[in-house]
Amino acid sequence: MEKPLAANAKPTAPHAPKGKVRMESLTQIRRIILTLLMSGFALLMIMPFIWMISTSFKSPADVFTYPIQWIPSSLNWEHHIKVWSGADTFATYYLNSLKISLISTIGAVFLSAFAAYGFARIQFKGRETLFLIYLSMMMVPPQVLFVPKFLMFEWVGIYNTHWALILPGMFTIFGVFMLRQFFLSVPSEISEAAFIDGAGHLRIFFRLILPLAKPALATLAIIDFSWHWNDYENALVFLIDKDLYTVPLGLQNFILENNVDYNGMMAAATAGIIPMIIVFLVGQHYIIQGVAGSAVKG
Amino acid sequence: MHKSWMKRQSRLGYLFIGPNMIGVLLFFIIPAVYSFYLMFTDYKFMSPETHFVGLDNIRRMMNDDLFGVALRNTFVFLLAVPISMGLAFIVAVALNKSVYWQKTLRALYFMPYITSGVAIAFVWMLLFQPTSGPINGFLRGLGITNPPGWLSTTEWSMYAIDIIWIWFMLGYNMIIYLAALQEIPEELVEAAKIDGARPWQTIRQVIWPLVSPTTFLLLITGLIMTIKNFGIIQAITQGGPGNSTTVLSLFIYQNAFRYYEMGYAAAISWALFAIIMVFTVLQWIGQKRWVHY
Repeated sequence: MEKPLAANAKPTAPHAPKGKVRMESLTQIRRIILTLLMSGFALLMIMPFIWMISTSFKSPADVFTYPIQWIPSSLNWEHHIKVWSGADTFATYYLNSLKISLISTIGAVFLSAFAAYGFARIQFKGRETLFLIYLSMMMVPPQVLFVPKFLMFEWVGIYNTHWALILPGMFTIFGVFMLRQFFLSVPSEISEAAFIDGAGHLRIFFRLILPLAKPALATLAIIDFSWHWNDYENALVFLIDKDLYTVPLGLQNFILENNVDYNGMMAAATAGIIPMIIVFLVGQHYIIQGVAGSAVKG
Repeated sequence: MHKSWMKRQSRLGYLFIGPNMIGVLLFFIIPAVYSFYLMFTDYKFMSPETHFVGLDNIRRMMNDDLFGVALRNTFVFLLAVPISMGLAFIVAVALNKSVYWQKTLRALYFMPYITSGVAIAFVWMLLFQPTSGPINGFLRGLGITNPPGWLSTTEWSMYAIDIIWIWFMLGYNMIIYLAALQEIPEELVEAAKIDGARPWQTIRQVIWPLVSPTTFLLLITGLIMTIKNFGIIQAITQGGPGNSTTVLSLFIYQNAFRYYEMGYAAAISWALFAIIMVFTVLQWIGQKRWVHY
């Protein structure tokens, strides 16, 4: 381990610029160079997306022309039309995904908030133990749960229905953790004053804490929604019928059936990605904040 | 008076936690216990009888060559975590203050992380196309006459997956590093500058040590996240060619839902749990150190 202090760093700037003006223009040049470098690398990062969109408009003959044709010689809409028409269309997948993601998210946010309040603000017997059990459940990989859930859903009769995704989706341990953390940070004086005025926990929860927690609830909602929208593994295990498919499964299905139509594949991939890009652009602030605050989720 | 108040509090506590607890019980705890039981059985889906077989599944796992292959592939997969973190650290330091268009750039780097893993899987599949794909086109342009076959060859397929995963995780790691960098007191960096430290020295001797708890945290959580993931691999290669991209988590899925060897799959999934547990314990120990900082 190196010493984290700069105090013993030797002064190693023999030809430091003299005037302040020169120094400032130097840092400015450095800044511009760094900006250009980072932009170049950023462009490399989103290159796959640009290539995807561009390919979805190309003619089949132009897919692999090299050097890459970033702007197609003519705009071919037919691949996108193909994706959105036919027997199993992306319209169906979108509706299914939207239904599952919305119901799960609303349920998860509400149920997590309730539990988080209990864990954060009410003293009761066994609270620490229960919380520890919650904590330990975060360690269990989804693979451990797939087979038993499959058998249970089969037994109850919700296997191969949307309920197999919605019901478990309404319970997120991560959500309880995140909101508990937030509720703990709300000063207790606020609820004490309300207690003195004769308010109970339910009233305090609905009238005081929930309104205060709006940003945290929004963060959880957006992150949770994106998980549900992008969830491929659960859909893969619990859904069979094509008309029940969500966007990730629909995408896979489209590609299996059109595995030589590269333009169509890219049009389908575009359809699969666009909604999350919109959600991201709208809720960017919340997503980044939520992700930064949730590094411990595991 | 006090006792009845406590009782009332307890009732209220359960009232608040109850609804969520029912779900956690049904969808987490009971399945986990059930899976633990399945590990000791020869349960196969649709088979007429199930027997208690003791440690047979675990013994079988130890002797299963494929399990060894899956374990090795998993470790190759995990290589993506530190590499992605290293790149993310550089990007985060650059984007922390000394750059224009900060917000836009952050959003661009973060973009892959929020998109559907399956969609990007198919895009990369074409990018990696061995004979005429753009990546090999570029490599040939650089003068490499015999570029790798990427996803179509057993030697390269796992590394191709690594590249995709590095790309996918970079934005996430960058955001966490940025959050850590913003916690560093300005004075420390200023002091280093006044003492004449060059930017590189400041990064190495001031910033890097100060974010080391974050590095540790990212490493452990990244390993856990990666070891659980199989969606991208299932979408692109289904574990092939051969078994060259069959990682442990995918191996479990295949045993359970392709071969319907559910007892055996349960046993492997608990092996996965054991690995995650080791990482979690490490994180726990690390966190204690982290709090003192």
